[in-house]
Amino acid sequence: MANHDLTSRIAPQLDRHLVFPLLEFLQERELYPNDEILKAKIQLLSHTNMVDYAMDIHKALYHTEDVPQAMVDRRVEVVSRLKSLEESAAPLISFLQDANLVQELRPDRQYNIQMLHDRFQIGADQIEALYQYAKFQFECGNYSGAADYLYQYRALCTNSERSLSALWGKLAAEILMQNWDVALEELNRLKEIIDSKSFSSPLNQLQNRIWLMHWSLFIFFNHENGRNSIIDLFFQDRSTYRFFSHLVRYLNAIQTNAHHLLRYLATAVIVNKRRRNMLKELVKVIQQEQHCYKDPITELLESLYVNYDFDEAQKKLKECEQVILNDPFLGKRVGDSNFATVPLRDEFLENTRLFIFETYCRIHRCIDISVLAEKLNLNMTYDESLAWITNLIRNSKLEAKIDAALGTVTMPVVHQNVHEQIIESMKNLNTRTYLLAKNIVEPAQVAQASR
Amino acid sequence: MASRFWTQGGDSDTEEEEQENSEYEDGSDAEQPAGDNAGATARSRYLRDQASDSDDSDGQHRVIKSARDKRFDEMASTVDQMKNAMKINDWVSLQESFEKINKQLEKVVRVTESVKVPNLYIKALVMLEDFLAQALANKDAKKKMSSSNAKALNSMKQKLKKNNKQYEELIAKYREKPESEDEGAEDEDEDEDEESEAEEDPSKIVMSDEENDDEDDEDEDDRDEEGGGAWQRKTSKKDKLMDKQFMKDPSEITWDIVNKKLKEIVAARGKKGTGRVEQVEQLTFLTRVAKTPAQKLEILFSAISSQFDINPSLLGHMPINVWKKCVGNMLLVLDILEQYPNIVVDDMVEPEENETQKGADYNGTVRVWGNLVAFLERLDSEFFKSLQCIDPYTREYVERLRDEPLFFVIAQNVQDYLERIGDFKAASKVALRRLELVYYKPQEVYDAMRNLAEQTGTEEGLEDGDESEEKQSIEENRGPPVFISIPELVPRKPTFPESSRTLVDALVSHIYSYGDERTKARAMLCDIYHHAIFDEFSIARDLLLMSHLQDGIQLMDISSQILFNRVMAQLGLCAFRAGLIQEAHGCLFELYQGGRVKELLAQGFSQNRYHEKTPEQEKAERRRQMPYHMHINLELLEATHLISAMLLEVPNMAAAAYDPKRKPISKTFRRLLEVNERHTFVGPPENVRDHVMAATRALSKGDCHKAFGVISSLDIWKLLRNRESVLEMVKSKIKEEALRTYLFAYSSCYDTLSLEQLTSMFDLSKAHVHSIVSKMMVMEELQASWDQPTKCIVFHNLEQTRLQSLLFQMADKLIILAENNERAFEARTGGGIEGLPPKRREGMDYATSGASNRWQDNYVSGASQGRQGGGYGGRLGYGGRTGGSAQAGGGFQRDHSGHGSRGAGGYYGGTGRTSYHASALRGAQVEGSAGMVNLSRAGRI
Repeated sequence: MANHDLTSRIAPQLDRHLVFPLLEFLQERELYPNDEILKAKIQLLSHTNMVDYAMDIHKALYHTEDVPQAMVDRRVEVVSRLKSLEESAAPLISFLQDANLVQELRPDRQYNIQMLHDRFQIGADQIEALYQYAKFQFECGNYSGAADYLYQYRALCTNSERSLSALWGKLAAEILMQNWDVALEELNRLKEIIDSKSFSSPLNQLQNRIWLMHWSLFIFFNHENGRNSIIDLFFQDRSTYRFFSHLVRYLNAIQTNAHHLLRYLATAVIVNKRRRNMLKELVKVIQQEQHCYKDPITELLESLYVNYDFDEAQKKLKECEQVILNDPFLGKRVGDSNFATVPLRDEFLENTRLFIFETYCRIHRCIDISVLAEKLNLNMTYDESLAWITNLIRNSKLEAKIDAALGTVTMPVVHQNVHEQIIESMKNLNTRTYLLAKNIVEPAQVAQASR
Repeated sequence: MASRFWTQGGDSDTEEEEQENSEYEDGSDAEQPAGDNAGATARSRYLRDQASDSDDSDGQHRVIKSARDKRFDEMASTVDQMKNAMKINDWVSLQESFEKINKQLEKVVRVTESVKVPNLYIKALVMLEDFLAQALANKDAKKKMSSSNAKALNSMKQKLKKNNKQYEELIAKYREKPESEDEGAEDEDEDEDEESEAEEDPSKIVMSDEENDDEDDEDEDDRDEEGGGAWQRKTSKKDKLMDKQFMKDPSEITWDIVNKKLKEIVAARGKKGTGRVEQVEQLTFLTRVAKTPAQKLEILFSAISSQFDINPSLLGHMPINVWKKCVGNMLLVLDILEQYPNIVVDDMVEPEENETQKGADYNGTVRVWGNLVAFLERLDSEFFKSLQCIDPYTREYVERLRDEPLFFVIAQNVQDYLERIGDFKAASKVALRRLELVYYKPQEVYDAMRNLAEQTGTEEGLEDGDESEEKQSIEENRGPPVFISIPELVPRKPTFPESSRTLVDALVSHIYSYGDERTKARAMLCDIYHHAIFDEFSIARDLLLMSHLQDGIQLMDISSQILFNRVMAQLGLCAFRAGLIQEAHGCLFELYQGGRVKELLAQGFSQNRYHEKTPEQEKAERRRQMPYHMHINLELLEATHLISAMLLEVPNMAAAAYDPKRKPISKTFRRLLEVNERHTFVGPPENVRDHVMAATRALSKGDCHKAFGVISSLDIWKLLRNRESVLEMVKSKIKEEALRTYLFAYSSCYDTLSLEQLTSMFDLSKAHVHSIVSKMMVMEELQASWDQPTKCIVFHNLEQTRLQSLLFQMADKLIILAENNERAFEARTGGGIEGLPPKRREGMDYATSGASNRWQDNYVSGASQGRQGGGYGGRLGYGGRTGGSAQAGGGFQRDHSGHGSRGAGGYYGGTGRTSYHASALRGAQVEGSAGMVNLSRAGRI
């Protein structure tokens, strides 16, 4: 069951702390032995400052009360370092905690620094300490504190490199606090910086993009504002004409170094009804990358839109369901403890069925309803599938008639009227000519008037 | 002497000499023949003897004069006139004569086809100069002159000054030597030069020997003797030169003496009268008496560069034995560098005068001028050139190929050395040279080379060593013992990793991290080529696309362009083997577009009827040729190209019968087919082209079995490693395309057609047929739909009335008209009309970029290269990666079409945008179905 698990491929592109939710999910799904996951967690924690948590896990893993000396030592060290950092950042923090004083800060950074320096004797050292302190807080797992400090640090920081890493830190903190709205803002800010910034090497930029895409998965599949609009955004980032250059860039990044992201791209396209036009392009990309990356979701699209092999598609659909359930991003549960649903799965299945059905109808004139039900993987009785199709027809999604006697659906063959075609093709000629004439006449008139 | 012409066989050595002398003594005109007597014969005096030596006899014994002699006589008479004029101090006639002689000089030079100016002319110049100086000095006489005479004198003064500047050197030389005895002195000089030149080419002597082996025994003996004599003479001369100084007690030889001698030899380099072979030998001798390692190194460098000098021409290659010796010297250099790490080889800084005096025990760094990489590159190109020149069907070629490991050793050692001293940039250059030896080798060939290097590599090395050792031992007997003995430190055997992939990977990754732009690009191409050979199409393709090499290849040097073409060819073959017909065609069709595939791959010359090449162009092309063992099989390539074109084009043609808008995919193929169809009688297929044409005929009738039969009867398939699987692939592709063609061609004859029937007709599985037919339906290539319960295809035939089709044509023309108007407007105003369909605009950009690409096509006359980059990217739909504007524009357009179709009704407000959406609508109509089933309506509402 674990063969389509992408955690190992995604994890390297994430922050340590961001991997936790993934591991939690895996633990919950029980794809891997519990011990292994716990070990992985300890390993993960060993480079963070969340020593207490690591100790807890250690206890749970080995069922002992003893904790290795190394952990105890590290705890002491962490605490002392925290103290020292706190001290060095104290003046600035106390300043920042005073709402009245903060009011005095202005958008002008130079002015702020100057003012801090003159009135409070807060110099570059303290500001730097704030950053370190925030980072330390983050590593300790105090995300909200870290987010606050980083936000304020960005207002004071003059070093663009630092500012960027502060932004990354802020994004991570917001994601971990599940403040999706804020995180989304940060994400967009970060994206703009990455796109506009000139990196030392294209490789570096590519890496940044890949990170951004991976991190964004958290936001895009979790935004509380309703997943639909978020996926729309996910695509807007890449596809709308205003961002068309990003389409190339981010798609490029996916194709070069992060093929597994195709799964999320594909899922998002399938689930989103309003982005149907992306499908063609997506299929092209999937086809191109099929030698590098394959999973049931991409294979489903391929069998449906390249090979037109409906039996295969049906098989893949079954696998897809499992994949979605086991994916930390896609398989998010909603609902109370005893009745949990995976909304994405349902939507995915619904949409895929629609896809299959649509394509199937497109090339058929007459279909046996029972065969159709089987192809769609509906597990319905004849009557149920009949009802489903009737529903479609009633909602004017399908131009078809049911032949109840034979148990078939008949698609009417619609030919576009020749006249219509001609009118259609000539339609815009009128306006184009008008426009042309206008463009020619106007300057002439202006010239005449001025004379 | 009169009988010389007949009795040349029995001449003795002395007579020979005499003859030569006498030849020169013939007078002013006989001197020239030596220089001009046409390359081949004059090159080697020994050869000339037995060839008819017409130049000897004419001028002296015969009344009939050659054109050349006539010219010389004319010149001589002009000189006489000048002399007369001088006597009477007539500057006017002198000026005339001067102009005359200049004209004659041109003629002479043209006739003799030499660059050298005849001595007679120089002599006249000197005479004039002297006389002029004299006249100018004598002011009284000048005053007395008539005005015209004085004028002539003045103009003569200026002209002569100008003119003489060109011949300054010759005049100086002439002045140096006494003018007595005609050109005696000069002759000797010439003579020597001639002689040494002749000797310099030992291989030629040997060759001529072989040639005439059975022809004339006597003659041969004679020549052999003579050759031997020459050699002996030479060595004795050299001994005289060297041993005088060095045969003394070894302890007396000091650094200074050696240094002085080295300077002397180096100074003589390139001068007239210095034998090149001789110089090498002198230097080799010097290396043995060098006092310090640094000095030895310095001398070795000079020796190597003079070894390179031995072959002066660009076309010919270095004699192989010299090449091998050069390799030996290089190894010696590396040994020294290995043993004395404090010696730094540098070509940037001019080292101090006495830097090399520092002995072996000196601790600091010693700088020696030299450039290992340049030497290595030269060695490589000499190796390459020799392979170019040698006839590939001879044993000699194979022998030469066996020297490859030898070069590999040095390259490896040099690279190691450079890496050790931290000069990674230079090391990457060396790595490229190594890579270029390996990249084109499939695993089998690579293994063979590896075995050769391991087994015979040592032998060969020994053999080679023997040769030099032998020489050394001879010399050792004579000369003093070597002062600085260097043990063989660097390995004499190349090491090859198990698979060539690892080797290529190692080299390539080194180059990527340190190389310069060109090196990197070439390495990338080699890498792609290698991947393609190993059937890794997707990796090769990704590399090619990611590197953006297609965009910039036109701006690179010609040899890189050739490499690029080779890569494309190999990529095409690889795609074909992988069953990616479209990709294969995309890679190959540009190569075949101009019918100059041989030229593009540098595997021979293609004749162009309309464009004559100048000799320079031809020479340059010859220099670019690939050695035979690197060739890509042209028949295979052609078959691949034509078969893939056939598979794409035949269904396309069948479909085009109903849809006039379809464009031909491969124009080349269409043309061939037209030519073939014009034949009244069609014979059985002979060459590749005939085979494919025969298959095409069968295929266009939907007869897949016959088509495959013809194709599989080609013999080139045996060149493929995985022959069975490729043939299997070809078979299934042919079946598929036959099915498609059949449906296109005969759909109008059917009302329904059952799946069963199709499967039995084309021997394909049901699922396969279903998939193909479904695809055609979705793409709207086939106006039909399935009837699921009966498993039949139901065709909906749409017949247009004549009026309707005329209407369509009119609509098309109107659209074109409107577009032309807009274009004219744009061209006039420079700016576009707001709200024009973006696609067209982008297309125009494309066109201009294509045009701008065209100029760099200098190396090939046509323009087929020009659009290779863009075309490839666009056509195969790799856009996603090729990046750039093309893809961006595409995305743009597509997005708008979607947008338009969604909100078409509401957006008609602003005039500026209307056409935008309208055009988008059109796009949507084309893209989307004609309204069969559309479930996405829900999304719209």
